[in-house]
Amino acid sequence: MLPVMDSPDPTDEQLVRSTQSGDARAFDQLVIRFSPRLYGLIYNMTSSHEDTNDILQEVFAKAYRSIKGFQGKSSFYTWMHSIAVNMAINFLKKRNRRKTMSLDDVDNGILNDPDFIEATSNGDPHREANLSELQKKLNESMMKLSHDHRAVVTMFDIQGMPHAEIAKILKISEGTVRSRLFYAHRQLQNHLQEFIKK
Amino acid sequence: MEPNESISKLLRLKRYEQPPGDFFEDFLAEFQLRQRAEVIHRPFIKVAWDRLCSVFTPPPIPRLALASSFAVAILAGISIFNWSGSEVDDSNPVNMSLAGGQNIQLGAPQKPANPAKPLTAVEYVLPAEVVSYASKRSF
Repeated sequence: MLPVMDSPDPTDEQLVRSTQSGDARAFDQLVIRFSPRLYGLIYNMTSSHEDTNDILQEVFAKAYRSIKGFQGKSSFYTWMHSIAVNMAINFLKKRNRRKTMSLDDVDNGILNDPDFIEATSNGDPHREANLSELQKKLNESMMKLSHDHRAVVTMFDIQGMPHAEIAKILKISEGTVRSRLFYAHRQLQNHLQEFIKK
Repeated sequence: MEPNESISKLLRLKRYEQPPGDFFEDFLAEFQLRQRAEVIHRPFIKVAWDRLCSVFTPPPIPRLALASSFAVAILAGISIFNWSGSEVDDSNPVNMSLAGGQNIQLGAPQKPANPAKPLTAVEYVLPAEVVSYASKRSF
C-alpha cells in the first residue's frame, strides 16, 4: 500500500489520519486544499485582507492543535468551516466598530460576467469605474449586516453552500438559516437598490 | 426578476475578489514558520500538560487488535490459574519429631515400599499412637 503522500489524490480523511499519526506534510496538503475556500469565507466576513490572513493562520494553527481530537463525526470540511466561522465572528466582536476596508484585487473575469454587465449596464461605457463602485457598495452593504447574517449570506450567496451544510457548520436548524437569509436579503436590497434591475 | 435572485447574483460577483497571485504559496510558508516558532516558544506549562495528556491518552489502536490482545490476555490468565491450582507444593516437607523419638514428615507423600507398585492415591502415614507432648511417666 502506498503512503498517503505518495498516492495521487488522497482524500481529506486519509490526510487527516496521516496528520493524526504525526505526518505534518499531510496537514500541509490540507492547508493547500482548504485555504482558498476558507480565505473567501473569512474575507467576505471581515472585508480586510490583512485580518483575513491573520485569522486564517490562527484557524489552521487551531485545527492542527485539535486534529487529534477530530473523530470524524462530521466531515473535515464542515469541521474546518466551523472553526473558521467561529474565529471570524469572535474576531469581529473584538474588532467592534472599527471598520477597515481593504478591497482585494478583482479578477478581470468579472468584466465579462453577465451578472456584472447586467448590474452595471446603465449606459455608462466605463465599466471599470462601475466595478470599483459596485465592489465598494457590496462590501459596505455586507458590513452593515450582523455577524450571524453575514456568515449565512457569505456561505449561501457567495460560496454557494446548501442550506443543510450551513446549518451543520453553524449548528442551527435549516429553518433558522432560511430565516436569516430572508432578513439579510431584505436589508441588502435596500442598500443595493441602484444595482438591482426592476 | 425576484429581488432575492437579484441580490444573490450581485453577491456572487464577490467571488471575483481574490488575494494577490502568490498569496497562497506565501501563506503556507508563513504557516510553517509560525508552527515552528510556536513549538520553540511554547510555555513550559503547556508542553508539560501536553506530555501528561499524551501519557494518559492511549494511542489509536485498531479495535480488532485491541479485542484480540484482550482475549489473549484473558486466555493466558485462565490457563495460568488452572496450572497453578492443580499443583501441590511439596518441595518443602516439614519434619517433626515426636516425643519418644519418632519422626514424621508432613507435606511429602510417603514413598511406597514396593517401587514397582503404582501409586493410586497420595498417602500420608501418621503414627497410630496418640500424639502427646506429655512425658511418659511410670509409677
